[in-house]
Order: sequence, then C-alpha cells, then structure tokens
Amino acid sequence: MRHPVNIPTPASFSREHIQTVGDMFVENARIQCRNVDVFYGEKHAIQDVSLDIGRNEVIALIGPSGCGKSTFLRCLNRMNDTIPGCRISGEIKLDGLDIYANGLDVVPLRAQVGMVFQKPNPFPKSIFENVAYGPRIHGLAANKLELEEIVEKSLRRAGLWDEVKEYLHHPGTGLSGGQQQRLCIARTIAVSPEVILMDEPCSALDPIATAKIEQLIDDLREHYTIAIVTHSMQQAARVSQRTAYFHLGKVIEVGDTALIFTNPRHQLTEDYITGRFG
Amino acid sequence: MNNPKEDSQLSNLGIRTHQIVKAGLPRRRAAETRFKAYGLICIVAGLGFLVLLFGNIISHAWSAIEQTYVALDVTFDESLLDPEGKHDSAVLAAADYPALLKKSMSALFPEVKDRQQKRSLNGILSKGASYELQRILVKDPSLLGKTERVWLPVDDDVDMLVKSQIDRSVDEGDRRLKDYQIAWIDKLMADGRLEKRFNRQFFTSGDSREPELAGIQGALMGSLFTLMVTAFLSLPIGIASAIYLEEFAPRNRWTDIIEVNINNLAAVPSIVFGLLGLAVFINFFGLPRSSPLVGGLVLTLMTLPVIIIAGRSALKSVPPSIREAALGIGASQMQTVFHHVLPLAMPGILTGAIIGMARALGESAPLLMIGMVAFIVDVPTGLMEPSTVLPVQIYLWADSSERGFVERTSAAILVLLAFLITMNGLAVYLRKRYERRW
Repeated sequence: MRHPVNIPTPASFSREHIQTVGDMFVENARIQCRNVDVFYGEKHAIQDVSLDIGRNEVIALIGPSGCGKSTFLRCLNRMNDTIPGCRISGEIKLDGLDIYANGLDVVPLRAQVGMVFQKPNPFPKSIFENVAYGPRIHGLAANKLELEEIVEKSLRRAGLWDEVKEYLHHPGTGLSGGQQQRLCIARTIAVSPEVILMDEPCSALDPIATAKIEQLIDDLREHYTIAIVTHSMQQAARVSQRTAYFHLGKVIEVGDTALIFTNPRHQLTEDYITGRFG
Repeated sequence: MNNPKEDSQLSNLGIRTHQIVKAGLPRRRAAETRFKAYGLICIVAGLGFLVLLFGNIISHAWSAIEQTYVALDVTFDESLLDPEGKHDSAVLAAADYPALLKKSMSALFPEVKDRQQKRSLNGILSKGASYELQRILVKDPSLLGKTERVWLPVDDDVDMLVKSQIDRSVDEGDRRLKDYQIAWIDKLMADGRLEKRFNRQFFTSGDSREPELAGIQGALMGSLFTLMVTAFLSLPIGIASAIYLEEFAPRNRWTDIIEVNINNLAAVPSIVFGLLGLAVFINFFGLPRSSPLVGGLVLTLMTLPVIIIAGRSALKSVPPSIREAALGIGASQMQTVFHHVLPLAMPGILTGAIIGMARALGESAPLLMIGMVAFIVDVPTGLMEPSTVLPVQIYLWADSSERGFVERTSAAILVLLAFLITMNGLAVYLRKRYERRW
C-alpha cells in the first residue's frame, strides 16, 4: 500500500473530464480488462473500461445505482452470456488468456472465477449437498472421504462450520440470511477458484452478519483475488485495497482505497464519496 | 421542525387523514364482505352441481351392480348333447344347449303349449344362457347325464321388471312384457328361483347387443392400451420439448414461430386431430384402424401441446437465482437444468401432464374418426387389435334403445371416473414423492 496523503486536497479533475484517472494497471495482474464495452440491446451499459485486478487483492467497485459495476463484474466470469441481447467487446484476460476467445469453454472459467450473488441463493438441498455440488460436478474429490474433507474445509473457511456441523443434512434454505450467504461463499470456495466475484454480498444482511462476511473477505484475500461490488463506502474502505469508482458506465477513478477515500483526484469521485449524490 | 405552527398544521392534517380513512372504512369492509359472499355462493353452487351430477349417476348406476339370475334344474341329457357317446370336448362344445334350456323351461311351466307363448317363455332367459351352460359343462364334463341346478342370467326386460324399472301399471300394449310373462316371472319369484346376484358379467366381458351380456372390460382395456401409448409417447416427447425450448433453444424467429404454432395447436378442436390421424396413420402409414396404437398416437398429438406449454411455464417459474448459482460454480447448462431446474419444475410439469392425460382419457371425438367407435365384442389383448375406449362406449350405450343400457351407461361413467381418479391419484402420489426429496 502506498502512503496515504492525509491532508485532503481539492480534486484536480473537473466533472466534465470523463477519462479514467488513477492507477488502472498493476504489475503481474490476475485479470486484465482493456477497452471493454457492454451493450444490452441498444443500451450502452459499459463504455471503454480498462482495469487490472491484481493478485491477492480485494478490489471494490463502487458507484451509484445503474452505473454498470455489477454488469462489469458479471463480464469477468461471463455470466452475462446468459442474458439475451447482451454484447461484449474489448478484451478480458485471466492470467494472460482471453476469456472471450472463440471456442473457450465457460465451464472451467467459472470454476476458476467463482461468484457470490447479491441475494443468498443456496440450492434447495442439504447444507452438505450445497457445498459438495461444485467439487462433485468437477470431479475434485476422488472418494466420499475427500469430499467430506473439502466440505468441512470450505465451511471452516467460510466461518460456518461450527454453526452447522451438527446439521449438515438439514436444508440449506433453513439457515438465516447471513448463514445462507456464508454457505454460498463456502459453496464458491469449495471449487477452489482463483478469483471470487461478489455482487453486493451484504446488501440483504444485518450489521452483525455483514461484519462476519467482511472478516471472511479479509481472511480469504490470502488465497484468492476478490472483486466486490458494494453500495457501502464504509465497507469498501474496510475490506478493499483498491477501489474503482464507476459512473454512468465508465470507470472514473481507480486507486488505492485509502487514497480514493481521503484524497480523490476526480470531482465526480469526491461528489460521490462525500454524499453529494448516489 | 420546531415551528409550533407547522407542527399543529401537520397534526391537523393527520387528524383529517384519520377522519377520511375512517369514513371510507365501512365501504371497504362491505366490499370485502360482499366479495367473500360471492366466492362462497360460487363454491356452494359448484358443489351443489357436483352432488347433483354424482347423485344422478350413482342413483342410476347402483342397480347395475346386480343382475337377475334364474335357477333352472337342467338335465345334461346325454342323448341330446352327445348322442354318439364320444365324450369329446369338441362335441360337447358344439352341442345343442338351447334345447336343454327349452326342456327345463317347459318342465317348469308345463301348462304352456302355444308356440308363440313357448317362445316368449324361453325369452325369459338371456340369449347368453346357453353359452353359460356350455361353459359349465366344458369345465366339468362329469355333469353329463346328471341333473343340476344352475343359475343363469335372465333377459334384460325381466331384469328390469325385477329391479322395478318396468312399470306394471302401464297398459299391456305399451309395456315390454305381456301380462302372462309377468305372471310367469312372479311365479318364478315366488318359488325363489329369481335372485339378484353380483353382476360379474359387467366387469369381465366386452360389448354386446344384449344389455345383460354387455360388459365394460373391452372398453376399459382399450382405454388402458390407448392411454399407455399416449403416456409413453407424449410424456418424454413433451417434457423434452419443453426443456429444450425453454432452456436451450436460442431466442430467434424460428423458435418464435414454433412457440406460436404450439400455442395454436393447443386450441385446435380435437376432432381435427382425429382427421389428421385418419389421413396420416391409417391411410398413409397403413396402421390398423380401430386399434389402440392409432388412438394413442392421435391422443399424443392432441396432448403434446398441453404438456409442452405447462412444462415450459413450470420451468419458467423456477427462480433464475438457482440457475445463476449453478452456472456460477461452473455447472454446464445441462447440469444446471437436470440437477437444479428440472427437479424444482417437476411438480408443475407433472400437473400439466396429468391434465393432458385426463383430457386424453375423456376424449371421444378424435377416436370416432379413426374407427374406435366400432361395435367390438372381444376384449382387446394388444395394441393392434380393434377396440373401443370408455367414453366412446358410454356414447354407444347411451345411444342404445334397450332399457337395460341406462343403468349400464351410468355404471360405465362411474368406471371412467374411477379410472380417472386412480390415474390422478397415482400422479399426485408421484408428485408428492418428488417434492419430498428436497
């Protein structure tokens, strides 16, 4: 982390300047996005976004509603493919490989880039089955014992093991909202992805569950690259190392979280984080 | 906010709102009560009609459970049945049983001498009585030469009289039975020779021109075979089509055209499918007419759109978050559908299938076109044999003039309803089992 400048200085880029400012690129990036445009039919949802996501970092994507941050996140594991009328241009590379290359299979990609959704969406199956499903379809466990190990490890990492170890064969939908979301995180990390995308994972949760998940994100950073979309600037400040501010489909400013929140360079960023809109 | 004037204005507004709401409340409550009353009236009316319908059918049908039999002392006269003493089953099968019956009857009523009266005396017995006699003797050849009391079915008119469905007070000329016939029947009854017994014939034989010999089994087996063909074809094809169209097919002009056509087909009158079946399956492919195979194919065509539409809407109603969850951890499209979406949609799909199959079971119009309306006496034993189905059998019997068919028509309706309830019960059971797995 760079040394944050603690004395706020006035933003040096005016609202009319709509080019990305800040450090979009990092060395040895895990995901490299170059000139990404996304269209929903006629709607130009994302315009010319270039952004790197580094290894073992948490990057927060913030911005007002409808600014395209979720859309951008869903590009990273090609979840937008399921939306009819959605077109994507530009280049997104995961470890140097173009994920939109012709003939690329999305199944291994989504195993590498896992996703946690805004609303907890456990399968209507037992807790064990929820976590075991990913390893099972990918054939990650050679036998039942190994599968049980993976399930336990994933639930432990998600901080859920102690709460559910007695009830592994109870339905996952019977858990509380926060537990369900942690179950979804356990389900995602059971596949051992390299990148985890989180789309407002705490928006449906109470503060205590939120704190638990934030703690979890911090712990997960050791093993994974995490991109998190959030509406809460406090959350972005707490969990992320880098922050990207989206505005009307464009990335306005990218930089160290500490810098962005203390010393934004762009007027729009400053407007947003000081609560003038959004 | 601390301005007292503003505060009092606000609280005045609040009081005003409260008053307006309160004034409107009785009207709202009345509307609610009214609506509930309408609903209750509708349900009571519906139930009333249902009770009326069932009461009518059952009150007509209950008497068909029993059939009148007459006890006759039949001498299995060897000189009549087997004059050459061969004791061969072929000879016994071809022997003159009606003569035995005539002898027994005149032994009971020796005073009847007139030819005309003798004929009507023998008419008390069913035309099937001699076959019954033959069956008894073939089963037990040792009866030959002995005299045995056997119970034989009576003619439908006698049966109707015994069940008091023929009015004795009507003028003799307007009655099916003459006064002297009624006198014979009364004498038989007084002797304890007439008895109502369980109507086994009705459940074990095919159609007949004689009500007392007519049975439902032929139509029941025909319906069973037809439904089997329909189920085996329409369920897999329908469900697979629904899954493909909903989950895999690209959204383009072609799938739009297919969708519009399927929706239209669901509304096509069923007789049109019958014409199609006649033209394609019978005239072009040369499949045997009146067969359950062709009937099943036609009903498959008719049922498919219903199953596809119901299946698609059931799949559509599975929350997209489940699909996203599965895709998000790298399940393929097919795994997503078969592991997560389909199990959740299965109850809905099965409901659609039940409705489709129930409609197929009750359908008669398209089957008329492919010849399943024929008068078929034999109980079908295979898919290629001529047969008829329950609704068509009901139609045929309802059309017959014999009084004895009235109760049998109602009984056949009950059999059809029982079939339907059994089928639906099975489907509901399957659906429950599917749901319990979650």
